[in-house]
Amino acid sequence: MNLGASPRLECFGGIEIQKHRINWRQKLDEIVNNSEALCEYLKKMIIDTLKLEDVTVEGIDSRAPLFRKGLGLDSIDALELVVAIEKIFNVIIEDEEVGKRAFASTNALAKFIQKKYNQGK
Amino acid sequence: MQWVETEETVRFNEVDEWGMAWYGHYMAWFEVGRISLLRRFDLLPRQIVDLGYVAPVISLKCDFKNPAASDDRIIIRTTAVKSEIAALTFKFEILLKENRALLARGETTQVLLTTNKKMIYRLSGELERRINNLVDYCLQDVAAQVATKAPRHKE
Repeated sequence: MNLGASPRLECFGGIEIQKHRINWRQKLDEIVNNSEALCEYLKKMIIDTLKLEDVTVEGIDSRAPLFRKGLGLDSIDALELVVAIEKIFNVIIEDEEVGKRAFASTNALAKFIQKKYNQGK
Repeated sequence: MQWVETEETVRFNEVDEWGMAWYGHYMAWFEVGRISLLRRFDLLPRQIVDLGYVAPVISLKCDFKNPAASDDRIIIRTTAVKSEIAALTFKFEILLKENRALLARGETTQVLLTTNKKMIYRLSGELERRINNLVDYCLQDVAAQVATKAPRHKE
């Protein structure tokens, strides 16, 4: 699936999105319901949101933890990701307890978002 | 941007062998500034605990521009920064009172944990209301000060 421009540009209120909100919603539905595409999208989102240098989509293991041992993210990174996820998917991660499950890996985050996104529809 | 100003005097015991205020004391002065700002919005450390939270500092930076000397009167300026994330960021400036020369400039960031040490990712309820009041106050244009009265210190 071609995800087009970077997630940040597409999701964070670029003029094109404002004009074609319905198309974007359809595209988001497609991404969320395709686990592989969602996983790739989330990796892009993580790199973009946290401005990670020297990290590529291919370089992120979908099963590796996002914090500490895996990607080595910290608490401020978690807060930044929570805001990005809420803006893009309208999915809320309230606190560390929920975050521990959601950020266990990119795969876990994809599953978490799929569940919450579809519940919220 | 609205800054809150507090005055202090550099004490003899805060000066190092070279006659300059020891760098670590600037953090204590930041704390004086932060408390004087937080007091106005019922966000003193014990009041945050009463709401069920603690707010540890996770990041601190400070640039030293000019040294302060013993018995100097200094002004500590503090403001809060608007943040999309559930964190509290303050900016500080320390000036020499006599000519308002900049001595140091710093910034701290605090995250919020529940009192049983669980980090919160989103602000809510009374804590959110008080933090929003604080940030809105600090975001005010200084020109708008005439029209907007700062909350008074509750004694």
